[in-house]
Amino acid sequence: MPKYRASLMVCAGAGCEACGCIKIKNALIEELKKRALEKEIGVVLTGCMGPCQNAPIILVYPEKIFYQKVKLEDIPLLVEEHFLKGRPVERLMYQESETKIAVPVMGNIPFFKHQVLRVLRNKGMIDPEKIEEYIARDGYQATAQALLEMTPEEITKVVKDSEIRGRGGAGFPTGVKWESCAKMAADQKYMCCNGDEGDPGAFMDRALMESDPHAIIEGMIIGAKAIGSTKGYIYVRAEYPLAIHRLKIAIDQAYEAGLLGKNILDSGTDFDLEIYQGAGAFVCGESTALMFSIEGKRGMPRLTPPRSTEAGLWGKPTVLNNVETLACVPQIILKGADWFKSMGTEKSTGTKVFSLSGAINNAGLVEVPMGIPLRTIIYDIGGGVPGAKRGRKFKAVQMGGPSGGCIPESLIDTPVTYEDIEKTGAIMGSGGMVFMDNTTCMVDMAKFFLEFTTDESCGKCPPCRIGTKIMLDLLTAITGGRGKEGDIETLEELSHDIIDGSLCGLGQSAPNPVLTTIRYFRDEYESHIKDKWCKVGVCRNLCTFLINPEVCTGCGACMRACPSKAIIGEKKKPHKIIQEACVQCKSCYNTCKFNSIIIGPAQYKGEPVALVKS
Amino acid sequence: MSDDIKILVVDDEPVILKSCKRILDAEGYKADSASGGREGIITMEKNAYDFVITDLKMPEVDGLTLIKWLKKSRPDIGVIIITGYPSQETIKDAIELGIIDYVPKPFTPAVLIDVVKRAIEWKKKKVSDEVKKEEEFPPSMIAELDRMIKGYRNKPGSLIPVLQRVQEMVGYLPPIVQKRVSRGLNIPAAEVHSVVSFYSFFTMKPRGDHIIKVCLGTACYVKGIEEVLSKIKKGLHIEVGGITEDKRFSLEAVRCLGACGLAPVLVIDHDTYGAISPKKVTEILDAYQPVTK
Repeated sequence: MPKYRASLMVCAGAGCEACGCIKIKNALIEELKKRALEKEIGVVLTGCMGPCQNAPIILVYPEKIFYQKVKLEDIPLLVEEHFLKGRPVERLMYQESETKIAVPVMGNIPFFKHQVLRVLRNKGMIDPEKIEEYIARDGYQATAQALLEMTPEEITKVVKDSEIRGRGGAGFPTGVKWESCAKMAADQKYMCCNGDEGDPGAFMDRALMESDPHAIIEGMIIGAKAIGSTKGYIYVRAEYPLAIHRLKIAIDQAYEAGLLGKNILDSGTDFDLEIYQGAGAFVCGESTALMFSIEGKRGMPRLTPPRSTEAGLWGKPTVLNNVETLACVPQIILKGADWFKSMGTEKSTGTKVFSLSGAINNAGLVEVPMGIPLRTIIYDIGGGVPGAKRGRKFKAVQMGGPSGGCIPESLIDTPVTYEDIEKTGAIMGSGGMVFMDNTTCMVDMAKFFLEFTTDESCGKCPPCRIGTKIMLDLLTAITGGRGKEGDIETLEELSHDIIDGSLCGLGQSAPNPVLTTIRYFRDEYESHIKDKWCKVGVCRNLCTFLINPEVCTGCGACMRACPSKAIIGEKKKPHKIIQEACVQCKSCYNTCKFNSIIIGPAQYKGEPVALVKS
Repeated sequence: MSDDIKILVVDDEPVILKSCKRILDAEGYKADSASGGREGIITMEKNAYDFVITDLKMPEVDGLTLIKWLKKSRPDIGVIIITGYPSQETIKDAIELGIIDYVPKPFTPAVLIDVVKRAIEWKKKKVSDEVKKEEEFPPSMIAELDRMIKGYRNKPGSLIPVLQRVQEMVGYLPPIVQKRVSRGLNIPAAEVHSVVSFYSFFTMKPRGDHIIKVCLGTACYVKGIEEVLSKIKKGLHIEVGGITEDKRFSLEAVRCLGACGLAPVLVIDHDTYGAISPKKVTEILDAYQPVTK
């Protein structure tokens, strides 16, 4: 391998790839050649580095200078300035939001500063399509140790002692799962990985599979030895083609290196691994459904017990672990249970990867110690809610996808642990955090999730199949202006019936988004039902848009934005909305820089000023 | 259903025209009348119809001439005749020209309605038969399919991977193809169909040259994907799950593409577009031209 004086790591995560990082890489190589620097400076495509909002991203080693939002036309300048003249380009660096001062080094950027990289330790460091680079970062050392020096019982004990809990959402202790499967006597056992990351708003597993596929394979080999399995499957959803592609390459490389197949590293351990591509059903993230899907059947959950560890895939004892859980395993083996427990809290050990999205400045992937307050994630790492100048404020964070709930501003100091999050009514889930600002209608949000679960319910249990539909109908009525007194109570009652009457996690948690929004935003439900007023102007039948004449400057921006020409007024004089022509599209509200658009209840006939005063 | 079916009644007897129109309108069809063959042709030049009910004996342009004109100029319109002498002889010529059915004179409202209903069913079936014919695939493709399926025959749990590959090759999974898979893997057709209909990845409808996948995940929802989606629907005149008339695009909604950092997101074929707005979307779509075959 040639020795370079500098290496350019071009992020090739899903976000950057969508923003044209491959073209950036090619342009870099081209430009370096032009300047005869190709022997001095290497260019590598690496997995997701995290700050997807600022894609495409280039990280320069050894200085760790971080460039973001790089455009094709920036490349000649970047190469000339930085690599020829030795002057890093400030314009392409992260800038402090207040002072506008450039922060060159990655570790000093607030987004990275609070993070602790364990699972994501290889992000931006290696080319995920090269096994050598993974091995150079201690890769497969844990495999060697587990296969050559440890008994299955010893492996299980270390994992159990680390107290790692399943990163997929439910938080079941991984060591306990392995132990109960190891105890079973069977001619065949299976070791499976759940890469069916279906929660909308979660993309940690996708990023992991794409950026560090070997870590997952390694975790599976170690797990297989611990439970006595010789055959494994990685179940990946079809929506993640890049993850499937990289995992395939990684598996082929591992076979070639003798790390998969017969007699791995001469240890006498056999393990075969295959990828199984999902076919688009959210419920297949549930363990029994996932196994039916691998068997080639409809992915419908079944009654447990027997647990999968007793009778899973094709009736054989099976362990199914989440992607992130498995990626933690090699380091637990190498560094020990105490090292793992040195981070996090007593009941939630280690670190956790979260994906931030929605109304947040720094959307992307982060890894933090368990127990960190939500506030730190939102404000210090996430950089708060965009549009603060226009009065946008943090309202809630949705955790756990359609099975989770919305955590309001008042609980923002909650430490992120399995137990504390559960107390709020949400769940840790797989790690998706979707942020919402004060322009989001919580009733509409609850409706959104119910639409999701109604659609994805497999239909086996009537309370889930029919109950969610009735709840959705009620929410549709409420958001459409047909809400009645008592609807909230009916929703609550139905929620409990669905929770009690469903077999699997999907049904048992489907009402969570409704329950948590009722719990924390009951006033919004009430104003929808009683006052026919969606105060944020999302539910079109429940709002009237008005212009506050005391604030309007008459700039005319709203007039140009209005698609139905419903706004009249002279320049520099307060404008007016003709209600008969208004289609409640909210364009004026989104356009106005002076916050002069007021949202009143449906069919509001009074003066705008009266609303402001009330 | 019946409200979008348009029928033209052609007869030289005003009483018949009037009563037919009354009966058909009451059933929810849209009926017009013409007082002779010539008037009938003039009306059809102006308006589109699904069926024509015509008398045979009329002055000037008679029923047979009208049917001949129809078969030449408006072959898609179904023809029903009204005849006072329902014998083989009298309507032989009309049958040869290709009519769907006849109404014997005099007739009750029930008879007329019954004949019209049967004609509608017949036409529907004909259309679906035609669609089926279109589904015939080149033998080379079928042979390739069979070869691929055979390779999976004794592998447990191979149904979903096989269906994925078949869909890749054919583009969709119509009943004939499902039967092929069922035979090839020795799995009951019902089981194949139950899997196809369960997973959203599989489609039984043909797809367009380019597939638009709009992400309906939470982050995209919060960031306003709905507006983008409605812009696409309006611009292309299709609903989710539909295909444009020129087969250039099909529109699909997906649950989270896992690119939430770029929300709102859509994917066309294999290209991901992030941070899209209703404004940008038209520009993006314009870049995808129909595939010339």
